[in-house]
Amino acid sequence: MRRLTWLLLATIAALAPAAAHEPSLGVLEFREVRPGSFVGGWTLEPTIGGDRVQLRFPPQCSYRPPSLDCGAQGLAGRVTVGNLGANMSAVLIRIVPVGGEPRSYTVTTASPVVSILGTGAPAWQTWAEVASTYVNIGIDHILLGIDHLLFVLGLIWIVQGGWRLAKTITAFTVGHSASLAAAAYGIVAVPERPLNACIALSIVFIGVEMVNLQHGKIGLTARYPWAIAFGFGLVHGIGFASALSALGIERSLLFPALLSFNVGVEIGQLAFVLLVLALIWGHRRLGAVLHRGGRVVPGYVIGTVAAFWFIGRMARMIAV
Amino acid sequence: MPPRRAALLPVVAALALCACPAEAHIVSSRLGDFYAGAAHPLTGLQDVVLWIALGVLAGTQPAARARWLVAVFPAGLVAGFLLGLAVGMTGGVAAVDAGCMVALGGLIAMAVRLPAPALAAIAFALGLVRGAANAGGAGPDTNAVLFAAGFATAGYVAITLLSAAILTFRCPGAGWRGIALRAGGSWIAAIGIMAGGYALAGR
Repeated sequence: MRRLTWLLLATIAALAPAAAHEPSLGVLEFREVRPGSFVGGWTLEPTIGGDRVQLRFPPQCSYRPPSLDCGAQGLAGRVTVGNLGANMSAVLIRIVPVGGEPRSYTVTTASPVVSILGTGAPAWQTWAEVASTYVNIGIDHILLGIDHLLFVLGLIWIVQGGWRLAKTITAFTVGHSASLAAAAYGIVAVPERPLNACIALSIVFIGVEMVNLQHGKIGLTARYPWAIAFGFGLVHGIGFASALSALGIERSLLFPALLSFNVGVEIGQLAFVLLVLALIWGHRRLGAVLHRGGRVVPGYVIGTVAAFWFIGRMARMIAV
Repeated sequence: MPPRRAALLPVVAALALCACPAEAHIVSSRLGDFYAGAAHPLTGLQDVVLWIALGVLAGTQPAARARWLVAVFPAGLVAGFLLGLAVGMTGGVAAVDAGCMVALGGLIAMAVRLPAPALAAIAFALGLVRGAANAGGAGPDTNAVLFAAGFATAGYVAITLLSAAILTFRCPGAGWRGIALRAGGSWIAAIGIMAGGYALAGR
């Protein structure tokens, strides 16, 4: 028993630095001190170091940190943030004009170029930039969010296919879209660390349900898959919102950003569901299916991985 | 040679010319090393042609034999990848790839029925060759475990879907489909011959 306790403690200690599914972010802020002249730099330096990030401003601008001088044309045109790397999710560029509202732009590895617009710029261009950027962020977020994908995989495994699966995935979508919107508008607020632990626990639950189903026990997920998908979708949606809120998008652009982010998440999720369904079809066609005894293995694997995350995330929460 | 086939020869020649010695390809690391590993086979003609050839070959065999490749091919890819990392390979050998294309294309064209162990051995050997060649895609900053996992997952997905699709395509009663597959095999062999000629001419 003592050995087991030590083993458990050692495991928790080893898990403590485990990275959760969190985006990294850099923030660049420029304040206009007189027309066309700005002062600023990194207010939140990226993990790879601000010096390693390549910044390219419009041709009329010259940047000698901390001064950015754009002359009479002002800061308008294409800004490129290169060399972001895989570990950097996004850079938020915040511009504070002398006599106007602050404006924020987000660039990512997927969309490293952003057009900074003058005051008279057409609104549709801003919306198009936001849509393009946030659809990509949404796709990236779901494809890199192995926890969300494992949950969806568990649902597919339990529900199998057909209309029931379509309804279940729709319920998950409705659930996470609703809570994503609520969290993004500040109606609901949940601390990130307990939330991440809850997301891991939801996958443990699905893993247990998968194993129970193979043992002939019809659980809640098999009986009411849409209800479970909706309920846990609410939890996962708040998790999506934490990724969005970390980008610090300004409120006037929140709705298009939220909509585009959600569209991106749905595109990624749909691609994953279609891939899994195609693989299920392929396995059945080839007759490469697990024997009765082996059908519990995926449930155990998903449950064990999720339990590993849960313990790690709890350890991080307690360690703070 | 039928005129239609002759008309397509320049296209095949152009494809064969693309079969330059494999190098460490730059794959966007936007989604991290797992997805970089999964996308890496798409950066070279050798992987695309050889994986398709193996999928078609598996699909033309009975399902009971083809199903083993779902596990064997990704295992070969991982073993080859580890071998490539250990040896320090930076690319594939163009002549070996061309030889594999000729051999696989020939087997498909001749509609050879292979025993399950032979089919599995071919898949594992091809996995070894291509896994070692793709090891060069993992740079010094790459997480080799994630890259290999993505690479093997791509192999698993490709072989499962391709062999199942071909198995469905060549349903009994439609004789022309078998002929189409055999013709496809001859095309793969032809690409291999041209790629081999190009590789040998470059020496």
